Amino acid sequence: METTAQSKSRSLITGLLTIALGVLAVTSVGVVLHHSSADPQPKEYATIKGTIVGPDGKTYPHAFLKDGVYPDPVSSKAHGTCATCDGGHPSWPSYGPYTHFVLPAHTYVTIDLVVYDSGGNLNTPYFGNVVGTVAGTATYDGVTKANLDPTAVEHTWTLHGVPTTTQDPLFVNVPLPMNTDSEMKAYNDDPTKLPKGHIVEFSFITGGKGEYLWNCEYPCGDTSYQGFGAVMGSAAGYMGGKVSVI
Amino acid sequence: MTTLVHQSEVSSPAPVPAKSLITKLNIVTGFIVGAIFCWGTYYALRAGRDMTDTHNVNKVLIISMFMWSLGFMIGIGALIGPFRWLIGKDLTPEEELYMSGEGQGMKRYFKFCTDHKVVGIQYLVAVMVLLGAGGTMAMMIRTNLARPGSHLVLPQIYNSLVGLHGITMIIAMIIALTGPLGNFILPMMIGARGEAFPRLNAVSFWLLFTAIPVLCSAWFLGGIPTGWSAYAPLSTQAGPGMNAFLVTIIIFAISTAVAGTNITTTVITMRAKGMRFNRVPIFVIGCTISVALAVPAFPTFMAAMVQTGMDRTISTGFFDANVGGTGWLYANLFWIMGHPEVYVILLPGVAALLEMLPVFTRKPLFSFPMAVAGMAGIAGMSALVWAHHMYMSGWMPALNGPFMVTTEFISFPTGLLFLVFVGTLWRSRPWLKFPMLCVYAMMWNLLIGGITGVYVSDVPLDGTLHGSMFVTAHFHYTIMGAALSGAVGAIAYWFPKLSGRMLNERASYISFWFVQIGLNVLFMGMFLVGAEGQARRVANYSEQFAGGNLVSTIGAYSVGVGMLVFLWAIIHSAGKGAIAPANPWGAKTLEWTVPYPAPVENFSEEQVVTSDPYGFGKRVSK
Amino acid sequence: MSSDSLEEMKPTPGQRIRSFVQRKDVMQTFVLGIVITAGFTLMGLYAYPNWMPAVHSKEMHSARLIMTIFTVLSAPIAGLVLAVAVRAFLNMHHGDTPPPDSELSERSNTPAILVWCFSTGAFVVAAIAIGLLAYNSDTNSAVADAPDAITVDVTGAQWAWSFYYPAQNIQTHTLELPSGQPVDFHVKSVDVNHSFWPVQLGVKVDANRIVTTTAETRPTTLGPIDIRCAELCGLNHAVMETSGAVVSASDFANWVNSIKASGGVQQ
Repeated sequence: METTAQSKSRSLITGLLTIALGVLAVTSVGVVLHHSSADPQPKEYATIKGTIVGPDGKTYPHAFLKDGVYPDPVSSKAHGTCATCDGGHPSWPSYGPYTHFVLPAHTYVTIDLVVYDSGGNLNTPYFGNVVGTVAGTATYDGVTKANLDPTAVEHTWTLHGVPTTTQDPLFVNVPLPMNTDSEMKAYNDDPTKLPKGHIVEFSFITGGKGEYLWNCEYPCGDTSYQGFGAVMGSAAGYMGGKVSVI
Repeated sequence: MTTLVHQSEVSSPAPVPAKSLITKLNIVTGFIVGAIFCWGTYYALRAGRDMTDTHNVNKVLIISMFMWSLGFMIGIGALIGPFRWLIGKDLTPEEELYMSGEGQGMKRYFKFCTDHKVVGIQYLVAVMVLLGAGGTMAMMIRTNLARPGSHLVLPQIYNSLVGLHGITMIIAMIIALTGPLGNFILPMMIGARGEAFPRLNAVSFWLLFTAIPVLCSAWFLGGIPTGWSAYAPLSTQAGPGMNAFLVTIIIFAISTAVAGTNITTTVITMRAKGMRFNRVPIFVIGCTISVALAVPAFPTFMAAMVQTGMDRTISTGFFDANVGGTGWLYANLFWIMGHPEVYVILLPGVAALLEMLPVFTRKPLFSFPMAVAGMAGIAGMSALVWAHHMYMSGWMPALNGPFMVTTEFISFPTGLLFLVFVGTLWRSRPWLKFPMLCVYAMMWNLLIGGITGVYVSDVPLDGTLHGSMFVTAHFHYTIMGAALSGAVGAIAYWFPKLSGRMLNERASYISFWFVQIGLNVLFMGMFLVGAEGQARRVANYSEQFAGGNLVSTIGAYSVGVGMLVFLWAIIHSAGKGAIAPANPWGAKTLEWTVPYPAPVENFSEEQVVTSDPYGFGKRVSK
Repeated sequence: MSSDSLEEMKPTPGQRIRSFVQRKDVMQTFVLGIVITAGFTLMGLYAYPNWMPAVHSKEMHSARLIMTIFTVLSAPIAGLVLAVAVRAFLNMHHGDTPPPDSELSERSNTPAILVWCFSTGAFVVAAIAIGLLAYNSDTNSAVADAPDAITVDVTGAQWAWSFYYPAQNIQTHTLELPSGQPVDFHVKSVDVNHSFWPVQLGVKVDANRIVTTTAETRPTTLGPIDIRCAELCGLNHAVMETSGAVVSASDFANWVNSIKASGGVQQ
C-alpha cells in the first residue's frame, strides 16, 4: 500500500510533468509555425557605386538595384537566379528574382525595374502618381513622367512604413506601365516568350535604419473580389515584399 | 451523510442484438465512410473542371467537406434509425437498448450512443480538446505580440491564428456547460430518466465532432485571413481555407439547433412530478434560456455563411457592392447572432454559480424570481442590441441612439443577477471550496467586463474604443473571466457526479490563482494599450504599446500554466481522486440522489418534488 | 438589507434604519464599500485619462470625459458588490464537510430589491442620458459646422490610405488639418472593408466599397495624429497606418501650397 507521502510526491511529479509536456507541446507548435514562417523572400543587396548630389544639395552615396516584374514566377526564375520564388504558385504574377530589397541608410537609391506583364485599371487612381521619388518623377523607357494613366497600369511599387515611432517615414509609389495586348501576344501563345518589356527607373533617398513593406496596388490577384485574392491577399513574396534599410 | 461504495463499471451487459449492423459501427467506420465520401466527391468533382478558377476550387471543397460530414454520420450509424423507420422495419427494443450503450464500458464513448451521460462525457472531452487548441493559439498570438516588430510568424499565419483562436474558443465556450453538464447533469436535476430525443442528442455531438476536422483543414488550405467574424467582402476574397470555416459554422449551427431543441423539450416536458417552474433549479433555467436563445440566433449565422458560400462559388453577390449587394447585410446577420451568442455563453456559467451559491453559503438563493427575471431579461434584450457592434460601420447612424439605449439598458437585468449574488452572500459565511472561489472570480471579472461594456456601448466613446484592444479585453473579461470561471467552477462542483471522485483541491487552488491573476494581468495590459489606441487583430504594433503588450504576454503564460495544472487535476482526479461521497457538498438538488455510476435511466422510481432546492437556513422563512 | 429586530415591538422606519446602519456587519461593509469606491473613482479620474490618446478634437475630449464619468458613476455599485463579497470572504468557513446552515433564511427583501433596482436603474438612465446628450451634441455640432467645414475624401485600399482635398485639389498620403475648422471626412474603400481611425481625433468610420460614409470632427489642439485601420482587412492590416497632424491655419495653407507647387500630388 502506497503511503500518503509517496502518493503526494507522485502527484507532484505527474503534475510537473503535465506542465512540462504542455509547455513542450505549445512550444513545438510555436517552433513549427515559426519554421514555416521562415522568410521565403530572396534578398537583393543594393550596390554602391560612387556618390551623387541630391536635390537638397547634399552629397549621398549612390546605390543601384535591378529587378523585374513578370507575368509568372517561372519567367522571373528564368531571367534571374531565384531558386524558390515560384513558391508553388507558378500561375501567379511576381516581382523577380527578388522581393526583399536591402538598402543602405542615408543613401540615394536608384532602382531599375523591367516590366513584362499586362495590366489595366487601378482600383485607386491615386496610385497612378509617382510619389516620394527624387523630383516626384520616374523615367519610363527614358521618358520622365510624374504620373501614368491609371487605366493603363501594369503594377505599382508602393513602399510604406510599418507601425513604428522610431523609424523615419518612407513612402514611395511608382506606377509601372503595362504591356499592351499586342505586346503580350507572343507570351500568351507561348509562356516562354516574354515581351520586350518596359524599363522604369526611379530614385529616392533613404532615411535612417528601418524595416518597411511594399506591395502592389494594382488588382492582379484572382477574380474572387476586386482582384485582391490569391497572390495579392494571401502571401508576401510575389506582389509584395520588404525593404530593409541597414 | 451516506458514503457510496463504488459499483463495478460493467453491470450486466445488455443482450447484443444478433446480426444487427449497429453493433459493428463506431468511430472507425465513421472515419472510413467519411473519408470515402470526402475523397470520392473531391476526385469526382475535380475531373474535367478548371481548377485554376477560384470558384471551382471553392465548389469542390465545400461539397467535399459536407460529404465528409454526411459520410461520417452514416458510417457511425446515425441514420440507421430513420432509415429503418423509412423501410418499415423500426429498431427493435434490443437494438434501442444496445444503442444506449449499457454495459459496454469504454467502447460506448466511441459509438453512436444515446445515453445522455455518455454524450455529456463526450462533450466534456471535446470542450477540453478545443480549449487546449484555442489556448495554444492564444499563446502563439501573445508570443508574437510580446515585443513590437516580432517575427515569430508571418502575418498570414498570425491572421489565421487570430481567426481560428476566435472560432475555436467560441465553439468551445458555447458548448462548455450545456454540452457536458446540460446533457449529463441537467436531466438528473429535473428528475428525468433521459432526454426527450436520445438519438438527436447523439446526433448533436457527432455532428459537432465532424466539424472539428473540417475546421482543422482550414490550416492546411491556407488559413483564414478574416478573424472569426469573417466579414464580407474580405471573406469573399479569401483563399480556400475560408471554405472550411463556413462549412464548420453551418455544421455547428445544425448541431446547436438540434441540441437546443432537445434540451428545451426535455426541460419543458420531462420534469419530475411537482417540479413547477418555480421549483426548477436555477442552473436548469439558465441552460434552458441559453439554448433557447441559441436556437433562433444561430440560423442567422448559418444563413450568412450559406450566402458567403454562394458568393464564393456561384458569384451571387449578396455581399458584393459591385453588383448591388452590401457587406452591411453580412454584418447585420453576423451580429444578430453575435450578441445573443455572448449571453448563450455567459448564462449557463452564471446560472451554475448561482446554483452552487446557496449550497456553499448554506442560505437560500436570494430572490429566485429576480434571478429568473435577470436571465430572461438579458436573453430578451440581447436580441435588440446587435447593431452596437456597427456604430462605426456607417450603416445607419440614425439607429446609433436607439441601439445605445437598448444596449445600456441591458445593464439593468445584468444588475439583477448581481443583486442575487450580493443578496445571497450578504452576512453569509461561505464554505471555502474551489467552486466558491470561482463565484468570487466570476463576480470580479463580470464586474470589470460589465462596466467596460457600458463604456463601449456609448457611441461617442466607441468612436475611440471600437476596433481597439480595449474591446478585446472587455469581451475576454466576460467570456473568459466570467463564463469560463463559471464553467470551471461547475465542472469542479459536479465532478463527483461525473467521475465518482473528488477533484484534487490543492491543484485546483494552484490553478485558480495562476489563471485568475494571469488573466487579470493579461487583460489589464490589453485595456491599457487599447485605451492608448492599439487596434485589434494586428500582427505588429508601434513601440508606444510595448509595455502593455509585454505585461499581457506574461499574464497569458500564467493562464497557460494554470490551465495545464487544471488539466492535470481533472485527469489525475478522474483516475485516482478520493472517492466522492454521494452528496459531498450537501446540496438539495435531485442529481445528488442518483448513485454512481448512474444507471442508464438514472432513477429507479418516479421522483416527486415538493419544494425548490434552496431550503437552507435555520430560521423558518416567513 | 434585512433587520434583525423585526420580531420585536414594531419599530418605526426611522428606528429600523438607525439600528440597521449601526450594526457591525453593516458598518464593516460600508467601510469596505467606501474604500473600493474610492479606488475605482481614483482610477476613473487619474488612470484612464492618462492612458487615452492625446486630445486633439472636441470628440476626443468628450470621449475622455465620458470614460471618467462612467467610471465614477459605476464606482459605488462596484463598491457595494465587492464590499459584500469581500466581507463574506473574510468570514469564510473552512473544513471538509458542509458547515451548518446559516442563521439566516430570508429568500427576499423588498426594500433591498427596491433600493438596488432604483440605484442600478438610475445608473442606467444616467449612462443613457449622458451618452445621448454627448452624441447629440457631437452630431449637432457636425451639422451646424457643415457650411465652413473642410472636406477630405479618404480612400482605403489594401493596405494604404490616400487622401484628396477637393476644395484644395490636392492628393496626399498623410493627413494635415487646420486647427479650429470642422472637418468632414468622406470615407470609401476600393476593395474590402477598412475602418478609418485618426486616433487623436476620437472618431472612426468604416470604409466600404461603392458607398461613402462620413465622420465629422473639429480639431482643437495642435499635434501629431496617428491614422490606423481598425477593421481587419487581410494580410497587411497591421501596417495600414499613416501619420498626420493638426496644424495652424497658416501652416496648413503653406502645406497646401507646397503640394500644389509639385503638381497637386504630395511628395
